[in-house]
Amino acid sequence: MIGGKAKIFYLKLSLFALLLLLFLFIIPLSMTLSRALTSAGDVFSSAYTYRVLSFTLFESFLSALISVLLSLPFAYFWSHHKFFMRSFVLSLSTLSFTIPSILVVLGFVIFYGRSGVLSDVLSQLLGREVKVKVLYSFFAIIFAHVYLNLPVAFNLIANGWEKIDPIYEESSYSLGRGKMRTFISVTLPMLKKEILSAFILIFFFCFTSFSIVLVLGGSPKFSTLEVEIYRRVHVSLELDEASAFALFNFLVTLVILLVSGKIGRMGREKRMAGGMAKLEKLEGKKKLVAIALVLLMLLFILPPLLSIPYRSLVDRNGEFSLSSWEKIFSRSQMSVSIVNSLLIALSAALFSAYLGETLALFSARTGSRIVPLFATLPLATGSATLGLGMNIVQRSLMPQSLVASYLMVTLMHLMITIPFSIRTILPGAALLGEEKTLSSYTLGKSYFTTFASIEHPLLSSYRRKAFLFAFALSLGEVNATMTLSSGKVTTLPVLLYNLIGSYDYQGASALGTVLLLLAFMVFFILGAGRKGKADVT
Amino acid sequence: MLLEIDGIRKSYKDFSLEASFSVEEGEFISILGPSGCGKSTLLALIAGLEKPDAGRVVLDGKEITGMEIQKRGIGIVFQSYALFENMSVGKNITYAMDKKKSGKEKKEGMLALLALVGLKGYEKRNVSSLSGGEAQRVALARSLAAEPRMLLLDEPLSALDAPMRRRLRGKIRDIHDRLGITIIHVTHDREEAYAVSDRMIVMNAGKIEGIGRAEEMYKRPDTPFLASFLGEGTFLSKKSVSEGDGYYFFRPESVLISENEGTDAGSTYLVLKNAKVMGIEFQGSSYSVKLNYNGEMVTALSNTRPRKEYVNLMIMRNFLNIF
Repeated sequence: MIGGKAKIFYLKLSLFALLLLLFLFIIPLSMTLSRALTSAGDVFSSAYTYRVLSFTLFESFLSALISVLLSLPFAYFWSHHKFFMRSFVLSLSTLSFTIPSILVVLGFVIFYGRSGVLSDVLSQLLGREVKVKVLYSFFAIIFAHVYLNLPVAFNLIANGWEKIDPIYEESSYSLGRGKMRTFISVTLPMLKKEILSAFILIFFFCFTSFSIVLVLGGSPKFSTLEVEIYRRVHVSLELDEASAFALFNFLVTLVILLVSGKIGRMGREKRMAGGMAKLEKLEGKKKLVAIALVLLMLLFILPPLLSIPYRSLVDRNGEFSLSSWEKIFSRSQMSVSIVNSLLIALSAALFSAYLGETLALFSARTGSRIVPLFATLPLATGSATLGLGMNIVQRSLMPQSLVASYLMVTLMHLMITIPFSIRTILPGAALLGEEKTLSSYTLGKSYFTTFASIEHPLLSSYRRKAFLFAFALSLGEVNATMTLSSGKVTTLPVLLYNLIGSYDYQGASALGTVLLLLAFMVFFILGAGRKGKADVT
Repeated sequence: MLLEIDGIRKSYKDFSLEASFSVEEGEFISILGPSGCGKSTLLALIAGLEKPDAGRVVLDGKEITGMEIQKRGIGIVFQSYALFENMSVGKNITYAMDKKKSGKEKKEGMLALLALVGLKGYEKRNVSSLSGGEAQRVALARSLAAEPRMLLLDEPLSALDAPMRRRLRGKIRDIHDRLGITIIHVTHDREEAYAVSDRMIVMNAGKIEGIGRAEEMYKRPDTPFLASFLGEGTFLSKKSVSEGDGYYFFRPESVLISENEGTDAGSTYLVLKNAKVMGIEFQGSSYSVKLNYNGEMVTALSNTRPRKEYVNLMIMRNFLNIF
C-alpha cells in the first residue's frame, strides 16, 4: 500500500548506503577479477588449486557434520528437561556467535598446547610429565571448528526442538509406534530445517575459516582457499595468483549462500499446534545425567577461554605475575592496538547499524529482494578476497599513507558487517508493518518526519542489536585486515596473531583477556536485550 | 456535498472494484459487506493509500484523486490501531497536531481530546499498556487531533469483544454527533452498521449493491443479496402459494403464527395454511420457529411457543418483498 512517492523516499534514504556498498564492493572485486582473468590462468588448471578446494570442502563438511551430530543429544536433553543451569548453558552457547576465532586459537594454544594448562594439570594429577599433543594437525583444525560451532548447532537445534508440540510425538506413541521409530519418522522431519540450517551455517563458517586453519593447522599442507589467498598476498607475493584464488572462492561461496538461502525459505513445518515441548522435571538417575551433561558442556566450552586470563596472571612456571599486564601499558604497540580496534569497531559498527537500517527499510517497504541479495555479496566474496581487492585498490589509487590505511580498514569492516546488520534489522522492519507509517501520512506528516519520529525510534532495539553484532564482528576481524593493510594497521586481533606467531603467549594472553572481556561485554548486553521488552510488538 | 466518488475503478489480478456515491457534510456512513467485497480497498482509495485506475475522488469540490496522502486532510483509524509504541498516549496525540500550534495549545487540545474519548488522565500512559478498547479510543483521538475534513474508520471495533464493541460504537456515534464530523466507517457487522450510521452502503464482490437508510434497506431490500445479507428471512417460491415465477421474501418477525383453524385475514395478509412445525429454538425473548410449507422451509419469530404441530402462517403484505 506504500505509494510510489514513498518508495522513492526510501530509495533516497538508502541511496548513500547503496552507493557506498556498490563502490566498496564492485570496484575492489572487479579489480581483483580482472587481474584474475588476465594473468593467472594456470591457477585454474593446476592440480594444487583443486587440492586446496577439496581440502576446504572436506574440513568444512567434517566440522559441520561432527558439530551437528554431537549437538543432537544435548539439544534433545535441553529441550525436554528442566534442570539446574539449563538456561545458563543455553545462553552460554550463544557466546560462540560473538567470540572471535582468534581467541579460540589463543585459548587452544594456551590450554591444549604441549606446555599448556591441560598438560600441567595432567602432569600434576598423574605425577609424571605429560605433554598433550593435539595442536598443529588436521585434528586440531577440526577440533577447534567443532569447539566453536557445536554450541551454535546446539543452540539452533535446541531452540527449534523446544517449539515442537509434544502432541505429534504423543500421537505417534498412541498409535503404538516406539520411541526410535517416532524420532525418525515424526521428530526428525520436523527438525529438518534447524538441522540443515545449522549444518550450512557451520559449513560456511568453516569454509571461510582463517586464523584457526592458519595457526592451529601449523603447516601449509593444510590450506583453505582464504588462507591460500592470504599466503599468496603476503608470503609469496603473488597478487595475480591470489586474485585467481579469490575468484574461485567467490564462485564456491556464492553456491553455498544460494543453497543456504533456499533452506532459509523452506516452509516451516506445521508443528506449532500451539504448545511447546513440556519440560520434564528431573528425578533420581536422570538428575545425574543432567549434571554430567552440564559438566561436559562447561568443561568443553570454558577451559580454553578461561585459560586466557589465567595465563595472563600465572606464568608457565606457575608463578603469579602481572608482567604481561605491565607490558600492555608499557609497550605502546599494545595500547595502540586496543585503541585502534575500539575506534575502528565503533565507527564501523555505528555506520553499519545506521546504513543497515536504511537498506533494511528500503527492502521491507519496496519488497525489493535485490537489497538482501546484494548485501550478501560481500559475504559470498569472503573477507580475504575483499581485503585483497582493497589492497589492490589502495596500491593503485591511493597514497600509501597511514590515514588511508586506517580508512580502508574501517570501510572494509563496514562492508563485512553490513550484511549482518541488514539481516538483523530486516525482520524488525518487516514486523513494523505499514499501518503505522500510513497512519502518520494520514496525519499529514511528511515521509522524513514519519521516518525520523516513528520508524527510526521503533527500530532502535534492532539497530542496537545490529550495532553490537557488527562491533563484535569488527573487533575479531583478522583476515581482511591482515590481507589489506600488510601490518600497517595493527588491530587487537592482528597483534594477537603476531604475538602467537612469535610465541609470546603471556603477552598474547593479557591482550586476549582484553578482547575476551570486550566479547563478554557484547554478549551480556545482547543477552540483556533479549530479556528486555522488544520495541516492536 | 462533502465527498464525491465518481466512477472509481481499481483492478487486481482476480478482483476488481467499481463504485460511485456521495457523502454529505456531517453524515455517518457505514460501508457494509462480506469479507473480500472490497470495502477496505474503497477506504484505501479515498484515503489515498491506493491509486485508482479510473474515476475521481472529489473532496469539498476539489479533485484529490492523485493527491498525496499527507495533503488530503482525511484521517483514518486502522483495525490494528497503529499506535506509535515509541510515544506515550499524549505524545501520540500531539504528534498529529499542527506544527504551528504552541506547546500549550497542543497540551490543552490533547487533554480535551482524551476527555472527549473518555480517557482522562491517560496522557502519560505507555501505549503498550492499553487494553484494546483504550487503544482504539487513543487512535480515534489521534486522528481527530489532525483536524481532518473527514474520518475513515476501518473495522475499528472488530478486534474487541462483544460488550466492548457495543459500548464503543455508542461512544463513536456520540463523538460524531458532538463534533459534527463526517465519518465513513467500514464493517462486516450489520448490527454495528445499523446502530451507528445515518446511511449504509452495502457492497458485494467489488460492487455497490445498495445505498440507503438502514431501516429502509432492511425492510425493503432491493436485491436478493441485500435481503439475505441484511438479516434473516425466508425466500418462498410464488409457485408454492399460487401461480407465477419468482419469490416472496419476508423477515421472520413479519410472520404471525395462528393456531386457529380457518384463519382468514382478507387482503391484509398472505396466509399460508397448514405449515408443519419442524423445530423450535428458544432465544430468550422469543422463539425462532422453523416450519415446512409445501416442502419449503419458512422461519418465523414468535413470542409464544406454538403447541400444535400444524399451524397457519400470516404474513403482512406490506412487508412482503417480491423478487
